[in-house]
Amino acid sequence: MIIQIKDGIKLIAISIISCCAVFVCNLFMNFNIDIARIKGLISNPEVMTFYEAQLTMSRVTCAVSGGCLLLTSVIMLFFYIKHYIDSHRKELGILKALGYSNIKIAKGFWVFGLSVFTGCGLGFASSYALMPLFYKVMNPDVPMHFNIILALYLVILPAVFFCGLAIIYSCKKLKRPVLDLLRDRESSYAGKKRRKEQKDKEQSFIQDLKQATVKGRPALMFFIALASFCYSSMMQMSFSMDELSSRMFAVILIVIGIILACTTLFLAIITVVNANTRSIAIMQAFGYSWKDCSGAILGGYRLLAYIGFAIGTIYQYLLIKSMVSIFSKTSADIPEYKFDTKSFVVVLISFVIIYELVMRRYSARIKKISIKEIMLK
Amino acid sequence: MMIELMDITKSYGSEENLYPVLRGISFNIQDGDFVVLLGPSGSGKSTLLNVISGLERPDSGRILYDNTDITAMSDEELTFFRKEYVGFIFQQYYLLPNLTVDKNVKMGADLAGNRNYRQIIEAVGLVDKMDKYPSELSGGEQQRVAIARALAKKPRILFLDEPTGALDEETGRLVLDYLCRLREEYRFTMLMVTHNNNIAEMAGTVIRMNSGRIVDRYNNSTIKSAYEIGW
Ligand SMILES: Nc1ncnc2c1ncn2[C@@H]1O[C@H](COP(=O)(O)OP(=O)(O)OP(=O)(O)O)[C@@H](O)[C@H]1O
Ligand SMILES: [Mg+2]
Repeated sequence: MIIQIKDGIKLIAISIISCCAVFVCNLFMNFNIDIARIKGLISNPEVMTFYEAQLTMSRVTCAVSGGCLLLTSVIMLFFYIKHYIDSHRKELGILKALGYSNIKIAKGFWVFGLSVFTGCGLGFASSYALMPLFYKVMNPDVPMHFNIILALYLVILPAVFFCGLAIIYSCKKLKRPVLDLLRDRESSYAGKKRRKEQKDKEQSFIQDLKQATVKGRPALMFFIALASFCYSSMMQMSFSMDELSSRMFAVILIVIGIILACTTLFLAIITVVNANTRSIAIMQAFGYSWKDCSGAILGGYRLLAYIGFAIGTIYQYLLIKSMVSIFSKTSADIPEYKFDTKSFVVVLISFVIIYELVMRRYSARIKKISIKEIMLK
Repeated sequence: MMIELMDITKSYGSEENLYPVLRGISFNIQDGDFVVLLGPSGSGKSTLLNVISGLERPDSGRILYDNTDITAMSDEELTFFRKEYVGFIFQQYYLLPNLTVDKNVKMGADLAGNRNYRQIIEAVGLVDKMDKYPSELSGGEQQRVAIARALAKKPRILFLDEPTGALDEETGRLVLDYLCRLREEYRFTMLMVTHNNNIAEMAGTVIRMNSGRIVDRYNNSTIKSAYEIGW
């Protein structure tokens, strides 16, 4: 089979994301199970409400972070598979021409689920390193256990689910005429709707290219917006957490926020630059400056990044507000939560700096692309 | 524009394993001439073309365009020079896959501030394909888009690396015929690399290369059209 194990394992972005997801979920779910164990022993109603509140909060955290990350991993998996099929369409086309059925080829795509397995396994194992501290902060009265059932829920099941999903999705993607695959045609562009073509005719070529680049890859639009969403929401949340509950939460959030944001941002930018290497080389040969090129290829994503940031800000505000309201039912001394303008400004400035630095780094990469590179291919 | 090459050399490879591709090349190209560069595979034709057009730098030697030495230019200046004067047509077309024919041609037109570029699309006979993507075109049509794109930027010198290499006889003749007619209309210099000896009969000047050296150079007394040469 042409798809090798290493093709599946090198989807590092998926591994990192599933690692984060399982890391967080395992902390809270393990805690939840242990709390449920001792629930029967509690007689004091005040303590009881406190425990219930903790339970609710862990569930919310799990559902929100787990859900978001699951969705992201699924989109990333689809993105990788589509990318793989596009860049190997010749080989796949030959297999189909030889008489291999879609499902037979698609079966090989199960390896793409392996990255989820490694990521989840890693996240699961490493969360135990933090577990003692986590219990101490959450509630030192709850004794810690190793709940093996969670390995099934958080490692085995996700891995199996993703392997299956990879097979189903690739089977669907392989349903293309053999000639379509064999001919070196980027079928994704052909046959696209051309309704709007007439309208935006009179803008400059750079503007046209900018739009076509962004619209050509919706998954990357999502990733860039997601990257800034993660950064914005997690960083701001962690500042509020630092005041509201504990330093440990703050650190977990910062680390996860940065990892997620960087992974998705780099995945998106590297893909954009690689996919457009040829166009950039031609433009430079024709005499477009590298600033024009990087503006056309990367510039279109700036607005999306800032939109992601804005949504992240609103999201974290609403989330913390609802969490605080859960807690204020249990004790009166929790202050009312107000929008934290100071941390918003700090996070926004750091975001702008990081985003522009990364873009500049990749503009420099664009500057180095030469026509010779693509001629030798 | 008159182009003067003075003792151009270029090598590839590492220090201890240097492989010379161009070994001292000198010649002149007159303004408005049609020059054909012939030679066996690996003789350095494409490399020479890239060096003259400012895509690559030679190891030594000078390249003068009306007495301006482009080898002394910085990368930014060289990019600006290509923008102002040079057009390219490559063997593999290299169209931008995610843009329509119209926008691909506009890529060249915008560089020269050319607003009437649709005339050129018309001239190469692609008006009805204006809103198609490159993947929906035949090889010959794609090559014609590449020609329109290069001409839309109103180059003073047009460089062509085996423009008919991927075409069959019929479309090859068609494309060559377009080029010659457009050259008369827009008055630019043309330097074409080709494997096809017959095409040399269409050129004003023929240069033959072998192993990085020029082995022959002559002017044609009679110039044939694309439909008079053999194939
Ligand atoms: N970037 C490079 N690195 C190393 N060697 C190179 C490079 N570019 C070209 N060469 C070598 O230089 C020699 C001349 O290459 P060039 O492309 O100029 O030949 P050519 O005359 O155009 O051949 P063809 O007719 O096959 O296109 C070849 O032997 C090639 O292998
Ligand atoms: Mg060549």
